[in-house]
Amino acid sequence: MQIYLPIAELSMNLFFLVGIGGAVGFLSGLFGVGGGFLLTPLLIFSGVPAPVAVASVTGQVVAASTSGALSYYRRGQIDLHLALYLVLSSVIGASLGVATFQLLRSTGQLELFISLGFLILLGFVGTLMMVESVRAILKRRAGVVVRDKLPNQHNWFHGLPLRVRFKRSRLYISVVPVLVIGLCIGFIGSLLGIGGGFILVPALVYLLRVPGNMVIGTSLLQVVAMMAATTILHAVSSQSVDILLAFCLMVGGTVGAQFGASAGKYLRGEQLRALLAMLVLGVSIRFGLSLILAPADVFSTAVKGLGG
Amino acid sequence: MRALLALLLVLAAPLPAAAERLVSKVSRDEVAITSSYTGETLTLFGSIEPEAGSTAKFVEGPFHIIITVTGPTADRVTRQKSSVFGIWLNTAEAEFAHFPTLYQVLSDAKLSDITDPVTLAKYRIPLISQAYATSKAGWWNTIAFSHETVRLMEKSGRMKLNEQGVVFHSDTFYSAQAVVPADAVPGLYIAHTYLFKNGLLIAEKSDGFTVRKIGFERFLGQAAQEQPLLYGLVCVMLALFTGWLGGVVFKR
Repeated sequence: MQIYLPIAELSMNLFFLVGIGGAVGFLSGLFGVGGGFLLTPLLIFSGVPAPVAVASVTGQVVAASTSGALSYYRRGQIDLHLALYLVLSSVIGASLGVATFQLLRSTGQLELFISLGFLILLGFVGTLMMVESVRAILKRRAGVVVRDKLPNQHNWFHGLPLRVRFKRSRLYISVVPVLVIGLCIGFIGSLLGIGGGFILVPALVYLLRVPGNMVIGTSLLQVVAMMAATTILHAVSSQSVDILLAFCLMVGGTVGAQFGASAGKYLRGEQLRALLAMLVLGVSIRFGLSLILAPADVFSTAVKGLGG
Repeated sequence: MRALLALLLVLAAPLPAAAERLVSKVSRDEVAITSSYTGETLTLFGSIEPEAGSTAKFVEGPFHIIITVTGPTADRVTRQKSSVFGIWLNTAEAEFAHFPTLYQVLSDAKLSDITDPVTLAKYRIPLISQAYATSKAGWWNTIAFSHETVRLMEKSGRMKLNEQGVVFHSDTFYSAQAVVPADAVPGLYIAHTYLFKNGLLIAEKSDGFTVRKIGFERFLGQAAQEQPLLYGLVCVMLALFTGWLGGVVFKR
């Protein structure tokens, strides 16, 4: 069944849209990430203009992360105080990102920048996760008892001025690194159309030493708030949010996420992380190849101001 | 004074029987984009008749018809990638101002058999002439990029030359089918019909039709343009609600 998307101005198969929403939702439920880094490239590949894809996926990420954030909130596993700082700084980062997005679009290098951004970011994060999870799997094989790390040592930047006490996370640290992390996530997220959960979680764990039970919930809340702001920013600055496209993806995504979350119970943490690392590395290699391999057609044409 | 009147009378006298006029019509003057819209086929038809006021009872051919269908225009940019230190990136580009988003040429015979290239170029009939006419680049880039742009537009179905697109059902009655694709840009479309006889243009006529969103699709498109803040807020509310509902239904 075809459905006409009024902002993208093309008609697509309804079941295809709900299907890819569901498939990516399944993965996001499984790994606890937003899934934007998979959905945006998939949509662009299916012929949706890049700006519409990036802007509409932000809406889908909000929906996918909301149900998770709510259930963590009910369990009291969100540090609202910490999330507030992250959200405020990431909204500033996001508005800078949306402005840069417009600037790159006018110079014609948006496509290159998105490819390079995904390549570097996903390649880096994917390699780190892969190394860490393979080590954990090998240790378990060798019979070493793996304890969850209790990171309580401080880094130099924890002692910067403007220290704030985060009661829930049992932290007394400077807000400067918190704000810098929020700013970076907001900037990258709005530029690449990704929630940034897979960067934020390691950053909270390894840089800020946030306890494990608070990490996922706080990161989900931050993603919801930031992506909601980004959706509005995109809607105002480029009018490229397609509500019907976003809705089709949301419906598939929320249903898929539930099945993904229950499937995740059958896999151990380090196995999940290894699978996610493979996925992230795969997407990054795909972007890398598109930069290195000779394109099928060296010419491309687009209406100015749309499609990069 | 009398001489002037005589001259006027001579000028106003009916022209020789060679004068023909073109009567043409598009099957619909509006294509409505609804949620199930996947493109539409329009029939363009018409006939060749003696000029109004002419004493001739019939017209004599053979006639040739060329119809151009032109969609709304938009600024277009074509880019060329090349390898810089092993990385492929856009290095050259050419812009086209007010380039049609859709351009189809339908005719009943090969364009080169109907008339000479100079006449075709004069009326901007060939696909490539649309690119030449709108190019903002220098002459070298205009030639190189115009050919590539037309090739890409043909590949995506937005430009088309169909030299069997017009069918004559009798000596003077013709019809043609124009396809409005699924990704057609809403706006005013012009179907321009040229009537040729012995390689000379003897009549032409323009018919218009609009492609527009109606109902819900129109409402959404307008809301996004005119109330972007409200539209963005509604998107976010919808997302939050869907996420919440998903959580409630599945009780995670």
